[in-house]
Amino acid sequence: MIEVRGLTKQYGAGRLAHGSSAVRAVDDLTFDVRPGKVTGFLGPNGAGKSTTMRMVLGLDRPTAGRALVAGRPFATLDEPLRVAGALLDAQAVHPGRSGRDHLRVVARTNGIPVRRVDEVIDQVGLGPAARRRVKGYSLGMRQRLGIATALLGDPAVLLFDEPMNGLDLDGVRWVRGLVRELADEGRTVLLSSHLMSEMEQTADHLVIIGRGRLIADASIEEVLRGQGTGRKVRVRTPSVDDLAGALLRRKLRVHPTDDGDLLVEGASAETVGDIALEVGAAVHRLAEEHTSLEQVYLDLTGDSVQYKVSSTKELVRS
Amino acid sequence: MTAVAVQGPGTVPLLTRAASAEWLRLRSVRSTWWCLLAAAAAVLGIGVGTALDEADMAEASGSTASAVLAGEYGLMIGQFALLVLVLLAVTQEYASGSIGPTLQWTPRRGVLLTARVTVPVLVATVAGVLLAVAADVVAVVVEPSLTFSGGDLADSVGGIAAVLLAGGALAVGTGLLLRSTAGALAAVFLLQLVLPALLPAFGVRWMADLGELLPGSAAIWTLLGEPEMSAGQATTLLVGWSAAALAAGGWSLLRRDAG
Ligand SMILES: Nc1ncnc2c1ncn2[C@@H]1O[C@H](COP(=O)(O)OP(=O)(O)OP(=O)(O)O)[C@@H](O)[C@H]1O
Ligand SMILES: [Mg+2]
Repeated sequence: MIEVRGLTKQYGAGRLAHGSSAVRAVDDLTFDVRPGKVTGFLGPNGAGKSTTMRMVLGLDRPTAGRALVAGRPFATLDEPLRVAGALLDAQAVHPGRSGRDHLRVVARTNGIPVRRVDEVIDQVGLGPAARRRVKGYSLGMRQRLGIATALLGDPAVLLFDEPMNGLDLDGVRWVRGLVRELADEGRTVLLSSHLMSEMEQTADHLVIIGRGRLIADASIEEVLRGQGTGRKVRVRTPSVDDLAGALLRRKLRVHPTDDGDLLVEGASAETVGDIALEVGAAVHRLAEEHTSLEQVYLDLTGDSVQYKVSSTKELVRS
Repeated sequence: MTAVAVQGPGTVPLLTRAASAEWLRLRSVRSTWWCLLAAAAAVLGIGVGTALDEADMAEASGSTASAVLAGEYGLMIGQFALLVLVLLAVTQEYASGSIGPTLQWTPRRGVLLTARVTVPVLVATVAGVLLAVAADVVAVVVEPSLTFSGGDLADSVGGIAAVLLAGGALAVGTGLLLRSTAGALAAVFLLQLVLPALLPAFGVRWMADLGELLPGSAAIWTLLGEPEMSAGQATTLLVGWSAAALAAGGWSLLRRDAG
């Protein structure tokens, strides 16, 4: 469990005003990250995700508010790795040390037996590379080393800041599987990303921020429903009336489309297919249409995107 | 799986752990060993060479020279390799960004500070003393006319240890405060070697006076007996500069964002 209460971080001195150097990177954030779920921490570039995570881990001092990890401020924990593991920046490892030596240093600080070092090396599939110097590691290997470090103390809470950045498809799948497994074991998993598409397939719950402020804190389904754009199923059948009637009797919302198909809201393809079978309607086409989460995200964060690409393709601050 | 309340192991074992991690951290990077090698070459090469010269000069004037000159002259130059070792132990983490991760596994900053000051400074001091004694012994073996008494050795080792402890503290403090290898190296070299040697050379009174307030002047006095100052003055300078550097560096680690 992670509890964030009124967390605020201002960089630069002075009051917030035009021309002042002050930046409110995180602005009065309050949310909980609960166990047993993968919580996606979502926001455009510069929204304040990394800053929030750094404050949760006691690396940066909040301007106001506080964050608790397993009920305590992280910076007061004696054996923090047994409580929470985090991967913030996979590049932040001494290049001259081997991956295994790195893990041994970390283990020593928290009284973790060396046996566990070899376990996590196996778990993340670092294998023989663990004995080579980090200097020669690929990005993917560094991510794996960072994740191994986070897992070292077998913690109940895990924070990953954009762990899929720069990974190939295999790597992305691996991270997805891993966080799912960790959450299924009952752990608290907070996973940041600036891509909705990434979260759609990974997270159970979303905390969406923009310009340091909370925009949404809800399950993926709730986020969708809140915007009235749930999952849709498109079905083509010669018995339009029969099927539409059966669907309506199940309290599903059905819209006819211009090309004679039916669009069913809030149902899965399985449900619609089963209902069609019950009423003996032949199904010629059945497809789920759900690209809308991305759209919902864009709608939600649209006002708060700090950097927009102008027509001349240069980055401007809006 | 539920979060279990974690029973802390207590501050003393925590410190031992943090110190032992610092030790592992230090010896598992190559730069440490390069610095030690450079220190060994400087202390033995320059120290023994200079002691042999002194022996020749003493012989020509009908007196004798002490073998501990080897360790002292050697350390005068060799200390910089050891100070680089200490400084890198601190600043490398800011360069690679690994100070963030380090604070994730040792988030109690007072614990980290204590370990981070103690371990590299002690390593540099012990290494420096051992190298100096080795240089003395080599000098005596090569040139038996050098005198080598227990009293001289004790004095010499005490001075060398004091210089290295103070210089190490200065390096750690500066590294923690400036967080940059280049910046901290420049500052330590200026304070410890360049300015104390350069300022008096201008022949301007206030510059020479200023030079005598720098930590390097006290270090040179402790090692070589120059320039004119009392033991009390030298001690004040060594302790004062170390304390100031540690206070500033400690504030930086304890109070500022991780960096
Ligand atoms: N040390 C700092 N000094 C000044 N401003 C900072 C500092 N660190 C972050 N910021 C600013 O705070 C804001 C939030 O940054 P942060 O890195 O937390 O965003 P993010 O959500 O992690 O973005 P991204 O998706 O690009 O990683 C940005 O406007 C950034 O420029
Ligand atoms: Mg970020």
